[in-house]
Amino acid sequence: MSQTTIKTSGLTRSYGDICALKPIDLSVPEGEWLSVMGHSGSGKSTLMNLVGGLDRPSAGSLHVGGQDLSSLSEDGLARFRREYVGIIFQQHHLVPYLSALENVMLSQYFHSVPDEAEARHALERVGLGHRLQNRPGELSGGEQQRVCIARAIINSPKLLLGDEPTGNLDHKSTLMVMELLKELRAEERFTVVMVTHNEEVAAWGDRTIYLADGVLVREERTRP
Amino acid sequence: MLIRILKNSFLKRPKPVLLVLLSITMGAAVATAFLGIAGEVSHKMALELRSYGANILLEPTALEGGGFLREDDLPKIKTVFWKYNITGFTPYLFGVADLNAAGRRERSVVTGTWFSKELQVPGEESTEQGIKGMAPWWDLKGRWPEAADEAILGAALARRLKLDQGSEVAATVRGTVQRLKVCGVVTTGGFEEEQLFAPLVTVQQLLGQQGKVSRVLVSALTVPMDDFGRKDPSTMTKDEYEKWYCTAYVTSVAKNVEEVMSGSRAKPIWQIASAEGALLTKLNAVMLLLTLLALGASATAVSTSLMASMAERSPEIALMKAMGADRFQVSAIFLGEVLIISVVGGFVGYLIGNQLAALISHTVFNSSIASPLWLIPMAIGSAFLVACAGSIAPLRRALLIEPVRVLKG
Repeated sequence: MSQTTIKTSGLTRSYGDICALKPIDLSVPEGEWLSVMGHSGSGKSTLMNLVGGLDRPSAGSLHVGGQDLSSLSEDGLARFRREYVGIIFQQHHLVPYLSALENVMLSQYFHSVPDEAEARHALERVGLGHRLQNRPGELSGGEQQRVCIARAIINSPKLLLGDEPTGNLDHKSTLMVMELLKELRAEERFTVVMVTHNEEVAAWGDRTIYLADGVLVREERTRP
Repeated sequence: MLIRILKNSFLKRPKPVLLVLLSITMGAAVATAFLGIAGEVSHKMALELRSYGANILLEPTALEGGGFLREDDLPKIKTVFWKYNITGFTPYLFGVADLNAAGRRERSVVTGTWFSKELQVPGEESTEQGIKGMAPWWDLKGRWPEAADEAILGAALARRLKLDQGSEVAATVRGTVQRLKVCGVVTTGGFEEEQLFAPLVTVQQLLGQQGKVSRVLVSALTVPMDDFGRKDPSTMTKDEYEKWYCTAYVTSVAKNVEEVMSGSRAKPIWQIASAEGALLTKLNAVMLLLTLLALGASATAVSTSLMASMAERSPEIALMKAMGADRFQVSAIFLGEVLIISVVGGFVGYLIGNQLAALISHTVFNSSIASPLWLIPMAIGSAFLVACAGSIAPLRRALLIEPVRVLKG
């Protein structure tokens, strides 16, 4: 954990008169698992979107993987997302008319070249080797989330973002997904930023920061 | 992967795809039908216009022929390069004779002509040439002359001489007398009403000008004049001259006819040729405009359908962008869909348009028509253009989708 993956200074995001994220200074070392907690509207998703290059800051500096995201063009940000970031959404957001395998390959297609064997392997790693040709509508919530994880890691991202990835899952599926993420992180050594409002899920991280009304109010280290 | 995406997109979302396909197909069908019958309409209209009079006048040059053309040369008119464009011609020989009918005398113009002469040219099908086919607007009371001693009279002349069908009239020129039976009285609304018309050979004998004609009126199918057609051929390069000669301008057809008629000078009758050209140009412009309007309407329908489809697919587009798809990759997926739909829609549109053109042609002109094969790429190309034009706004909207707003939980 020597290098810094995320470095923000005075990072702010406003929507008109509403300040969703007040100036925030944050540093996330390479390989760290950072949990972001807060109530609804606290600014945690805003922070994740900025870090993932899905949104642009209103003020302050934002460096991820050594790149100043504020200076990147639209296509530059797109390139950053496909080459550096993997995202797991709460609502999975899988393409409904593609199979599990094709959903994973779609991510490869945007990154470089689709490789069916590699995509198949990624799904096998998340325990879905037997559900390759099933479409999202034919999968359970937990299975869909595992497809989402396979899609997020297929391009070996340096940064994995999770936006309430277990928010729609039952307790058993949540544990399964978190175990899976832990294993993958141990193998891939990516940095994790996980937004959650679940203390139990947050506890899987190395460090947790707490946001309230767009302000970083507290942080605590959950692991040494 | 793109093919997989497109295939699944089509199979799993048939309704919006069919809506776009229908819009494109209708546009391509209407365009095919209009373009398919445009040539037919122009041709039919040109034929119709030919019935309003000749558009080329063939006269003797001042120096050669002593002021006459040779009747022997006339069949050559149906042997020229543009022979199939020449729908008819009529020779005229003019003279002045003293007419005497039951004691009433008048000095009048006597015209020798062909009324309806069967012309047989070696190697060609026989044709009917003469004034009967060339001037269908003449209102004839009676019948056309069939024998050498029959004639028709202009209505004004007939009134003055108190002649009607069945009357006799004697025409005298320098002591030569020719007795003629009046078999018809013609009303033309023009100077012809002051003349007597008799078979060419009869008037040649009466005037002592055997084998000679004064002028020939030629009716030819021509294309509207443009800037190139108006150029002076003597200033053209060899290539330009060839192009001009091989285009059915009234000037080039006139030149063509002039070349086979010794001692002749062919002149376009500009009031006919110009009006005809202007009308055909306007007709073609209307057809083109209708085609463009149909394509525009189709593009609007495509745009509306795609807009609705795009709204439905915004989460998918947002996801693609969140995964790192850039503008080119997003555009490639949607333009790929549009390309495939265009090819299918263009081809189906061609087939439907072909039938539509045949129906219109049969209903309006009572003739059959088959759209040319070049309309297939044309239909597909226009379908693609329509689809692209209709995709601009939806694609622009797709590219402006912000993943953050669409994908937020």
